[in-house]
Amino acid sequence: MLPYLQKLASPVHTALSNLTLEPSGGGSGKGIADAIGGTVQMGGSDAYLSDAQATQNPTLLNIPIAISAQAINYNLAGIKDLKITGDILAKMYEHHITNWNDPAIAAVNPGVTLPNQAIIPVRRVDASGDTFIFTSLLTATNAEWKAGPAFGTSVTWPALPGELTANGNPAMIQVCKANPGCVAYIGVSVEQAALSAGLGEALLQNKAGTFLQPTQDTITAAVSAGATNTPNDLRQSLVYEDGAQSYPIVNFEYLMVNSKQSDANTAAAIKSFLTWSITAGATPSNLASVDFVSLPTSVVPKVEAAIAKIGA
Amino acid sequence: MAAANPLPLPAPGRRAGAALRLRALMGGADLSRGDRLLRAACGMAALIPLLALVFLVVPLAISAVPSVLFSGPAFLTGQVFSFGNLYAGSPSLHHGVAAPAGAQYGALPILLGTLFTSLVALLLGVPVAVGGVVLLAELPPWFQRTASLLLELLASIPSVVYGLWGIITFGPLVAKYVYPGLAATLGRVVPFFGGAVGYGQGLLTAGLILAVMIVPIIATTTRELVRMVPVHNVEGAYALGLTPFESLRTVTLPFIRGGILAAALLGWARALGETMAVLMISGNALNVYPVNIYGPVSTMAGTIAVMLDSALTDATGLALHALAELALVLLVVTFLTNLLGRLVVRRFTSTALPIGRGI
Repeated sequence: MLPYLQKLASPVHTALSNLTLEPSGGGSGKGIADAIGGTVQMGGSDAYLSDAQATQNPTLLNIPIAISAQAINYNLAGIKDLKITGDILAKMYEHHITNWNDPAIAAVNPGVTLPNQAIIPVRRVDASGDTFIFTSLLTATNAEWKAGPAFGTSVTWPALPGELTANGNPAMIQVCKANPGCVAYIGVSVEQAALSAGLGEALLQNKAGTFLQPTQDTITAAVSAGATNTPNDLRQSLVYEDGAQSYPIVNFEYLMVNSKQSDANTAAAIKSFLTWSITAGATPSNLASVDFVSLPTSVVPKVEAAIAKIGA
Repeated sequence: MAAANPLPLPAPGRRAGAALRLRALMGGADLSRGDRLLRAACGMAALIPLLALVFLVVPLAISAVPSVLFSGPAFLTGQVFSFGNLYAGSPSLHHGVAAPAGAQYGALPILLGTLFTSLVALLLGVPVAVGGVVLLAELPPWFQRTASLLLELLASIPSVVYGLWGIITFGPLVAKYVYPGLAATLGRVVPFFGGAVGYGQGLLTAGLILAVMIVPIIATTTRELVRMVPVHNVEGAYALGLTPFESLRTVTLPFIRGGILAAALLGWARALGETMAVLMISGNALNVYPVNIYGPVSTMAGTIAVMLDSALTDATGLALHALAELALVLLVVTFLTNLLGRLVVRRFTSTALPIGRGI
């Protein structure tokens, strides 16, 4: 989320000269908490508010301004385009599947010679939106995971001997690069770095059974499928959507905004920024710099209705 | 505001002495205005650290109260530290405190992880630091100067750099080339050193990196101690026909023993509170004890740093209170090790010169 806001800071100042965007760092939890506390006007988050938080903070709006996705990367010499399913991933992180030559992996990769190599699952140690959407997929595809760790920005991971941890997306790439046999979940905003580090990008099975990589088309297909039933409060998971061409790990990038601002000027400034960010600001070049995708047209009216609620 | 009363005659006794000093601090008609101003400024400066400590500990303790009520003694004995499921299920009440579904806060593995990593660092770091410095004193001055400079450089490296080096270079290296050998030799005798060696994130790697980080602290202190050994005693030992090694063993080391303990203590405190490097290379095991010395662990400081963001998303707020209690426990542990260290130093330090002690 932060790289995108940093990207927008300059063009928004050009477009709306009375506005200055000053993005600062921190995870999704900090974005939500700071928006609730009022220390920031807009709090960035990959995760939407939980039911308990939404009930507790009825004036806090979840405003999506873009779409992101997540790749599953691995470090296996000479094997490109490995196919994998959410259920297999869950079993890897539960330590039920421990070797790359496991029959379950071979079954979805006919014709591929899988190495006799231990699987090293890598997970994020910091609270992160990437963990949120990755564990959302595991929850959707594996009953044991759903009953156990479930999903969140950090979850109680099953205790694994020989698993690795990393702090942040760039560290995920480094750790995976240093350890052949690794599997990792990495946000598409650093996809190019992961590929140039020599990591493979898996084809992930979606709900319809198709194996896909995250591309503009497959991400857009997932959003279009999900957008048919987006709720008015916009708190929606786009993970494991229907549709033959829908990539399974996709999410809204949110800005959390309090609908009750301290004064009319601030409210007007926030509204003009948000409106700009989903219309004129959502240019292909701005979005492509972090591999994000623009909001589907069917969701935009709901986002505009949410923005209209902001007042003093 | 200062009282202008003349000083009363000092009454005999210790308490009266204290009262006199206090009165002198508060009043002092015989002092010039500048003196009084300076004294007021110094008094305030002296109060600031105390106030800072109170301001730190009291809100932390208050913030920890809901967690103490919720967990009770299980906080220190429980094995599972989990914020619960923040997105599913509804909060429920336990002991009058609202908690997310499935939340429990048992910090024993984290507490032990903190103690173990810092003790491994101490066991490895102290001999290296003390041995190195004592040997250094016997070498030519230009070499001593260069080595001292390098030690100070080592001390000034930010911990995140150690962490990055540990995660990219050092961890994979030792996991590939050193740990298997250790497991095949020492591991046959001591089971805790045997078994799977993992991939370079864990107790031993964290202990090794911490050892590198605390060596400069212990070494620079020890270097000053060695310089304080009276040269007459050392020369006397040589005059009696002792070899350099015997002189070291019977004169220098006994003389600085208490100081080395104090230096080790400083290093221990650093290792206990070290956050960034350890969180990057400890493996951050959740809710398990390490199966062997290569296994992943997590520490209190690291856990607070990485869990804070998720804790902020807990609508009941209990997760944040649990982290406050964890911070409080870390404070208490640091305080206790400090206290223990002081007792040990007092026990082993003798004021008498060690000369003639059973050469």
